[in-house]
Amino acid sequence: MKVVLEGLSKHFGKVKAVDDLDLEIGDGEFVALLGPSGCGKTTTLLMIAGIYKPSSGSIRFDEQVVNRLLPKERNIGMVFQSYALYPHMSTFENITYPLKLKKVRKREMKERAQRVADMMGIGELLDRKPAQLSGGQQQRVALARALVKEPAILLFDEPLSNLDAKLRLRMRGEIKRLQEDLGVTAVYVTHDQVEAMTMASRIAVMNYGVLQTYGAPSQLYDHPDTLFVAGFIGAPPMNFIEASFEERDGGFYLRSQALEIRIPDERGALAKQNNAPQRVIMGIRPEDVTVVAERDGDFRAEVYLIEPLGREDLVTFRFDDEEIRALVPAPFDGQIGETICLKLDKEKVHLFNPETEVSVLRSGNGGSSYH
Amino acid sequence: MAVRRKLRPILAYFFLIVPSALILLGFLWLFITSFSTRTEGLRSLGWTLRNWSFLWKAPFGPMSPSIWLITLNTFLVAVGMTVLVVLVSSMSGYALSRMKFAGRKGFLSATLILHAFPSVTLLIPIYFVLRWISGIPIIGGGIPLIGGFGFNTLGGVALVMVAFQLPFGVWIMKGFFDEISWDMERSALIDGASRFRVWRQIIIPNIKPGIAALSIFSFLAGWNAYLIPFTFTIRRSGKISVLSVYLQSFMGETTITNWNAVAAVGLFQLIPVVIFFLFSQKALLNIYGGGKKGGV
Repeated sequence: MKVVLEGLSKHFGKVKAVDDLDLEIGDGEFVALLGPSGCGKTTTLLMIAGIYKPSSGSIRFDEQVVNRLLPKERNIGMVFQSYALYPHMSTFENITYPLKLKKVRKREMKERAQRVADMMGIGELLDRKPAQLSGGQQQRVALARALVKEPAILLFDEPLSNLDAKLRLRMRGEIKRLQEDLGVTAVYVTHDQVEAMTMASRIAVMNYGVLQTYGAPSQLYDHPDTLFVAGFIGAPPMNFIEASFEERDGGFYLRSQALEIRIPDERGALAKQNNAPQRVIMGIRPEDVTVVAERDGDFRAEVYLIEPLGREDLVTFRFDDEEIRALVPAPFDGQIGETICLKLDKEKVHLFNPETEVSVLRSGNGGSSYH
Repeated sequence: MAVRRKLRPILAYFFLIVPSALILLGFLWLFITSFSTRTEGLRSLGWTLRNWSFLWKAPFGPMSPSIWLITLNTFLVAVGMTVLVVLVSSMSGYALSRMKFAGRKGFLSATLILHAFPSVTLLIPIYFVLRWISGIPIIGGGIPLIGGFGFNTLGGVALVMVAFQLPFGVWIMKGFFDEISWDMERSALIDGASRFRVWRQIIIPNIKPGIAALSIFSFLAGWNAYLIPFTFTIRRSGKISVLSVYLQSFMGETTITNWNAVAAVGLFQLIPVVIFFLFSQKALLNIYGGGKKGGV
């Protein structure tokens, strides 16, 4: 089932929780709504569910406008962050509650419940009450309850936040596989960019109620539209350095107090085409910063902090007043205070307009955002 | 400093035991007096059962009502009032907690103000209201058992008691509803329940401690009520409404008060309360138990 949001807005008094949102979710697609707390993603989800009424704009399921439909008429399954199981009912009663309300016959109810429970690996727990289950088991009951009515769309509101790291990893994969197997359209709200990147086919990044960008994970990672998206996606986060953008002797250069690099001509030309100002913000990811010998380096910096991550070490370097983080293969043999030479991968340098916070390297074709 | 440390528990016990002992002393006197002809302090001057004769013989003559009829009346008032209070409070508490409507804030402050209002000042206006209700056919005075809802009826007394108890009830129930997570309701709405169903099947079962607490408070208020029943029922031809009024009738202005009988009747009025408390104590203490796992 396709979902189309058009000009969707929601006010709570003076507060604009969602501002003029345009979004199109394809049939069977897994879309993540990603953003920091308070960005409007949960509000959007609840409007799709029918719990909140939009202040303006429309929501369409396939071709039908569903603004006025009650939640129960929308054929949706929803999993909440707190699972929202009914504590006074058994697991079986929890799962079959939607069926009971639809007046499904007892035998069919039992069959469907057992089938879904087995699929979620909780087939033996049907007699227990939620309080007698572990967090992961409760999560699966919540999922089973959402699935049992064979909904046209699945909605997730940060369902993995209450689980420990290992369980979260496992459930992430399971939910993704489940969605692929069932082919149900899914909308997944999260503040964890790793979850969004690994699970979704497209990610809608939101901030302060406004859609920042909407595209495939690789698109968002390699070609972030805005400063916010660039800094939000990817861990460890992108480094930002102020620099001036200059064109001279037929080449394009970025210069700050401590460093000067020449960027590839195509990128420079693109930036010029997009009217890049003189002062820009340069972005480079930690994995694109490498430690090199003296003669190959772009600039020198002093080791400030070393954080071992096992496979790599995250090293923070200081130069001028700026800091730059690099991911170097473990073990890093530098010492704190030591001056090291660093090189940046010029093909991976991003440029942003400091005032509009928009990338000046957008090519216009294959653009990833809707406006 | 070791003295200081030893002093603390001693002080604590002192402040616990002394007031409790004083209160218990009162009850002890009550008990002894009810079984004695006369007492001197706590010493009985003669054991007897005649103070308890009201249980099988009407004390003011064969025309006056028996204690059992009056107990039934008291029970009807207390239970009727409790049921009404719990029903109305749980519904309005839910609406106040969950729904947005014009005047909601004003309504909430109004309940607080009403709760603080001294009932005494409203006695006269209520009299006029009850008289007006008596004028309504059937409801005014024709219902069997409770006699209707007008003046000089059990129903009328219960109605007034409900009115005074409601602000407290609504406030308490709203508090309990506020504790339930919104997600559980949203989930039920998505599953297909109507608002009323959500209230009945999902929320109320999780409010049980709140309902228990309100029931207990309301029942006790109804059982022990004196001013309202006394004011709004008439002692005509020996007809007496509830136990508290019955008790008061023992303390006449023209005859010598038989304190031993008073003690006995007083104790009698206490017994159901004690029994009620024994059973509901666990439910009451559970209000502070809570017990939600992980949820928001």
